[in-house]
Amino acid sequence: MTRSFAVVTDSTADLPDEWRDRYDIEVVPLKVIFGKETFRDRVDMTDEEFFRRLAVSNTLPTTSAPSPGEFAEVYRRLSKDHEGCISIHIGAKLSATAESARIGAASVEGFEVNVIDSQTVSMPIAFLCRIAAESGTLQQAVAAVEQRVPKCRVLALLDSLRYLEMGGRLSRAGAMIGTMLDLKPLLLVAEEAQIKPVDRVRTRSRAISRMIEFFRSEQPVEYVGVMHAEAKEEAERIAADLQKEFPDQQQIPLGQIGSVLGTHAGPKALGIVYIKK
Amino acid sequence: MVAAVKTTGVDGPLFKRALLGSLNWLASNHEEVNRLNVFPVPDGDTGTNMLLTLQSAVEDVKQSNAAEVSKIAKLASHGSLMGARGNSGVILSQIFRGFARAVEGKSSLTPAELAAAFEEAANAAYRAVNKPTEGTILTVAREAGRAAATAASSPDANVPRVIAAAAAGARAAVQKTPSQLQILRDAGVVDAGGFGLQLILEGMLKSVEETEPSLAAMMDTNRSISPASQVSMALPEGGWGYCTEFLIEGANLDLDVIRGEIEAMGNSVLVVGEPELVKVHVHTDDPTSVINLAGRYGKLMKLNVGDMSTQHRRILETEGAGTGTRPPRPNGVGVVAVVAGRGLVEIFRGLGVDAIIEGGQTMNPSTQDMLTAIESVPYDEVILLPNNGNVIAAAKQVIGVTKKKVHVVDTRSVPQGVSAVVAFRPEKPASENLSAMKAEAERVQTIEVTHAVRDTRSNGLRVKKGDVIGLINDRLEFAGDDYAEVVNKALGKLGPGSYELVTVYRGEQASDDELAKLESEIRSSYPSLEVEVQQGGQQHYPFILSVE
Repeated sequence: MTRSFAVVTDSTADLPDEWRDRYDIEVVPLKVIFGKETFRDRVDMTDEEFFRRLAVSNTLPTTSAPSPGEFAEVYRRLSKDHEGCISIHIGAKLSATAESARIGAASVEGFEVNVIDSQTVSMPIAFLCRIAAESGTLQQAVAAVEQRVPKCRVLALLDSLRYLEMGGRLSRAGAMIGTMLDLKPLLLVAEEAQIKPVDRVRTRSRAISRMIEFFRSEQPVEYVGVMHAEAKEEAERIAADLQKEFPDQQQIPLGQIGSVLGTHAGPKALGIVYIKK
Repeated sequence: MVAAVKTTGVDGPLFKRALLGSLNWLASNHEEVNRLNVFPVPDGDTGTNMLLTLQSAVEDVKQSNAAEVSKIAKLASHGSLMGARGNSGVILSQIFRGFARAVEGKSSLTPAELAAAFEEAANAAYRAVNKPTEGTILTVAREAGRAAATAASSPDANVPRVIAAAAAGARAAVQKTPSQLQILRDAGVVDAGGFGLQLILEGMLKSVEETEPSLAAMMDTNRSISPASQVSMALPEGGWGYCTEFLIEGANLDLDVIRGEIEAMGNSVLVVGEPELVKVHVHTDDPTSVINLAGRYGKLMKLNVGDMSTQHRRILETEGAGTGTRPPRPNGVGVVAVVAGRGLVEIFRGLGVDAIIEGGQTMNPSTQDMLTAIESVPYDEVILLPNNGNVIAAAKQVIGVTKKKVHVVDTRSVPQGVSAVVAFRPEKPASENLSAMKAEAERVQTIEVTHAVRDTRSNGLRVKKGDVIGLINDRLEFAGDDYAEVVNKALGKLGPGSYELVTVYRGEQASDDELAKLESEIRSSYPSLEVEVQQGGQQHYPFILSVE
């Protein structure tokens, strides 16, 4: 590929391998720490392994951002055959990754790095990378991505509150989530990485139909994807239903929820990710 | 017939006396009314509900020396409205309301006017009920009115004769109720509510016919032997002790005066504080009267009524009120629920309910109890969940007695209540929430498991006292001697294929073994169902299940 600029992201983008290869996107891994063991996300540990460990772990794994040095190394390497790059990362409110990228970029002289705080998490970042990669120039890429940042959404259905609670990511009172009943919360990660409760439902099948209902109310949207954590069949069914209902959408991709979102969402989580028009 | 009363008309004092007489008579006989309950489930008993409603009706009356019958009737109407419990209590309150309307502006009633007021009372009760059923207290009220009217039209009519005719008309109508209602026929009883009304009319008759010294003494407003305490003594042992605590905020509060009044209403009295803020603690049989009395001194805060015996009814204050621990509610709508059982209270609280009225199964909260809880939440619009079929009517009465906008979602069971609360969204307006909560409540299926409290025949089933019985959505469907067996049959009847989740709310009586057995039988009989166990802690019902 002979694009004049490079596209960089991090492992939280849950970028499908196929896109990574097709668009030649550089992925910098975060680190996942289970107790005393440290893994490079999606390099030393697959998503499947991650969820296997998560299910049996009493404590939550933690993640840590790539160091500025690691980013600098990547940018330096890319500077050899690119004029500049766009580096799109997990929301700065959720992780120090974007900040780390910024510091790393400052240490690489003579190479233009546009660090984008995506204000979101997971596959919407992958969509932003694709949008950037499909742009003609770096300037156009930055403009196209920045215009869409506030419109990225992750609509997540959790199978259990356990992980969210352990991670302390959301005020339970704010979500009106009782401590007693095992509710299936439906959450929306909206602009500026705000996590908003959308609904709470008792059964999974009702929750899935609520999720689709909510997605319907969010139209018009572009770039729709369906994500799952170890719930591929359900995700495929949702994707097929959405494809039928919204035939204008391009082929709706399926994504695996990676370790960062997965840490808080837990196994069997489902998500519809999209960018609002 | 002895007409010992000189007055030819019914004035304030005479009507007051008649009401006290009816309270006394119902109090002595309400257990007999309770025994007439058709349904074998432990539920709010008709006699107790009517008695508590009547007690509340008379509460303010006994403090009044009004000469006009209209004033006494109005006090009784208001009191019964606030104290209404259970369906029969609510209808009774509507009877008082109709009576009060009919005598508005009158200082005394002629026999004809009295009869007309009885008839209007019955009409008002009919109008208040959505689908009036014959063979119930409604029929009895109407027949009493008709008999009174006939008596009033005779040339030698007088007040005692009109009341006597009303009582006789009621009695005749009560005897006919089994011919009008299949369920009564099956169970071999007369209608309990109708019988209660008959007793009330008989009590009135006694009070105008006789001049017993005890009756005269009762009429003095001597607090230590108020009718309320006589009534309490007639109630079953072991219950009725309420630990009542609250703060009164006011100006120039006189601790000695307040203490004197509270002391007359209970024991373990503690009244401490300052002229602006007084803390009150009392063990009383009649928390409503204590609260009403204290409310006259100032604003009540931190109200907590806890039952010291087997039945728990507490008005729990919202944890968020004033403490700021809860985020602001964007829609400004509060949720209040009637719930019994420690675990269930926690579950409803955890789901974001602002105030809980503890009660439901056997102890139906009054309109006043629900009103107090509604007033305690910091929202002007409130959704009220009765969570019991026998509480719905009293809950609906709250709508007319508060400035707040109150909506009642007709939840008839704990699972319906849970489903409704789960559907509540704080950012959506009340109207949207109401339709969503109603839809969710209707979607869930309820199975309740308990022991029959009486021998009876219902829905084609013959059950013996003590049998395990299973109800699906309030309808008696199965009887047996084992919880797991009854639950399995009930799940089979619902058709487990169309459901995915069973939530088991474990009651106080259910042992660990019984729970384990129930769980494993559901799992092995219906492997496709997910089973979730919650500690409900409810009384009387070892298991309540929601199926969805």
